[in-house]
Amino acid sequence: MGMDMTKLALGPAELEYDRPPAGKNDRPGHQQRRLVPLVLVAAGVSAVIGSWRLSLGELNSPGPGLWPFIVSIAVTITAAILTLVPDSAVPETWTRRTAGIAGGVGSLCVFVVLFESIGFLIPAFLMLMLWLRAFGREPWRWTIPLAVGGAVVLHVIFAGLLGVPFPDDIVVTTLPRTIGF
Amino acid sequence: MDALNNLGQGFSVAFDPMNLLFVFIGVVIGTAIGVLPGLGPTATIALLLPITYTMDPVGAVIMLAGIYYGSMYGGTITSVLLRLPGEAASVVTTFDGYQMTKQGRAGTALGISAIGSFIGGTVAIVGLTFLAPLLSKVAVAVGPAGYVAIMILGLFLVTSLGTGSTVKSLFMAGVGLLLSTVGQDPVTGTARFTFGQTSLLGGLDFVAIAMGLFGVGELLHSLERSEKGQAVTTKIKNIWPSRKDFKDSSGAIARGSVLGFFIGVLPGGGGVISSLASYAMEKRRAKDPSRFGKGAIEGVAGPETANNASSTSAFIPLLVLGIPSNVVLALIYGALLLHGITPGPQLINDHPNVFWGVVASMYIGNLMLIILNIPLVGVFIQMLRVRAGILSTFALLVVMVGVFSINNNPFDMWVVLVFGVLGWVMIKAHFDPGPLVLAFILGPILEKSFRQTMLISEGSFGIFASDPVSAAIFILIGLFILYGFITRSRRRQGTRRAAAAGPEESNTLVHAPAALSNSIRQKDKGAP
Repeated sequence: MGMDMTKLALGPAELEYDRPPAGKNDRPGHQQRRLVPLVLVAAGVSAVIGSWRLSLGELNSPGPGLWPFIVSIAVTITAAILTLVPDSAVPETWTRRTAGIAGGVGSLCVFVVLFESIGFLIPAFLMLMLWLRAFGREPWRWTIPLAVGGAVVLHVIFAGLLGVPFPDDIVVTTLPRTIGF
Repeated sequence: MDALNNLGQGFSVAFDPMNLLFVFIGVVIGTAIGVLPGLGPTATIALLLPITYTMDPVGAVIMLAGIYYGSMYGGTITSVLLRLPGEAASVVTTFDGYQMTKQGRAGTALGISAIGSFIGGTVAIVGLTFLAPLLSKVAVAVGPAGYVAIMILGLFLVTSLGTGSTVKSLFMAGVGLLLSTVGQDPVTGTARFTFGQTSLLGGLDFVAIAMGLFGVGELLHSLERSEKGQAVTTKIKNIWPSRKDFKDSSGAIARGSVLGFFIGVLPGGGGVISSLASYAMEKRRAKDPSRFGKGAIEGVAGPETANNASSTSAFIPLLVLGIPSNVVLALIYGALLLHGITPGPQLINDHPNVFWGVVASMYIGNLMLIILNIPLVGVFIQMLRVRAGILSTFALLVVMVGVFSINNNPFDMWVVLVFGVLGWVMIKAHFDPGPLVLAFILGPILEKSFRQTMLISEGSFGIFASDPVSAAIFILIGLFILYGFITRSRRRQGTRRAAAAGPEESNTLVHAPAALSNSIRQKDKGAP
């Protein structure tokens, strides 16, 4: 229903700026469109097998696997339809910035590991520095104050005001000692 | 008048100073994120879920609701001034709103949007006040079979009325249902799909999934694009529309209110579809449809009214049936669940404070919004100076810390990261994460109702045909599917005819839905 109205509402001129660029993106798009659903079918099938193993029981006394079994069959069927009739929307291509995002996610993993071992302040400061400088392209005169201020303010809000028990913080435990308290 | 008495009680809840503060915070945040491109209501509510955990449930829902309808106001501002929809429902407003700005009528466009939004929102709240209690009386009588049918209808409508491919959305809904089975079986306690991880025994945390898919996923996606900040150079004047403007748009506002209200009540309704439908209606009714896309005031007033009306009436299925009709409401549903309140037919009786308090707060919130929007629009525009890089960096850090704070467990941080990456890949491959989250929330209730039904019927599926509610709903679903097939085959014929007429025209017909969904997904990208 919604879509039909859309079609009526939008004239050619209004759609012009939304249309995905044609031509050079077509080839990789086609390959992805076939490959992705195949992976999804495989995932669906493994879910079917997984639920089967949980024991299905009877319809009047369902076992733990019955409901997941029904659902994973539905998942597999829809994934199979996607393999046969690929969607017309062209997937976005991978650009150089995509690699940057992967690096960013990696840095977040490092953040979690550090957070668990040395607390919030230092990892948060490092994360803010990296992201503001590398992704935000902020100049140093903004990056450093924002990173220091941000880490401290968030620490005060979460650990102080909201009482979230952060892992032991290396800064909070050593700083008073170094400045002679 | 029972409803009026209850509403009075609701107002006494809403006028509590803390709750007034939460309405205010909600509508201010809502307007702000509506203005900021790249951070929509879904992402924001997902980011704030852990904080609401520490709040009182009434205050939490009052604030989240305020963010939702507030973002409908705010999204208009950048659509009109910069052709940059701040949230998906405002994409339509760019068509005529930006043209009005070019003609020096930016103030009028913003003014009429705010007034239309106020009227649409208020009409819908009045509807909610009187309709919801009646519906909940009917809903109490629905048995488990009927419930299964209602939930399937909800999922079906969400997937088929969405903006992307229906099969993809159905697939995502299936994945959501499957993910909701991770953890212990509700009846036997058997571990399901936990892969030996004890952290998974309690199931995946809904907040972590929502924050990952909508928060982290969207942030990563918006970072991938090199965005340049845009400065607003337009002078905003004449914000109060002239008498002629009012005359031109009064019909559009009236129709938008009613249309938006009814579309919002449908599962899968909510903002985007209602604004599209209203635009289509105004264009079809117009004496001179060619004015649309060139700065027609009805093309701004109608959709803006409709999206506010629908975002309010969308609370009806949530509060009355316990069925969230779109993703934002699914998140609000999740917030209620976190507080141990299950939305459903019993909510209005068991937790009248929550129900009537939230309804009353909406009247107040809408009043605050029109006050915020008409004189203070300039202040919100200044927020566009905050650079996207700074905003998303801090949002990411808040996500990581916020998700930790729910269970004080670093495991949830990993869940958020995994789902963040998945969400980002989904956006790139045009898989809508909305149905997944919705299905993830409905999953446990659907499974429970399904098992109850099977116990009652002793394993026979015949109960779905003999139970009147479920039979009626399944017939309705059948009719929807049939209708879809008929329109699709007609469209195909139309395309063939158009192809014979000329290649350019056929292209437009085929691309219309895909192009629109692209434009909605790329809402933060703006026009080239």
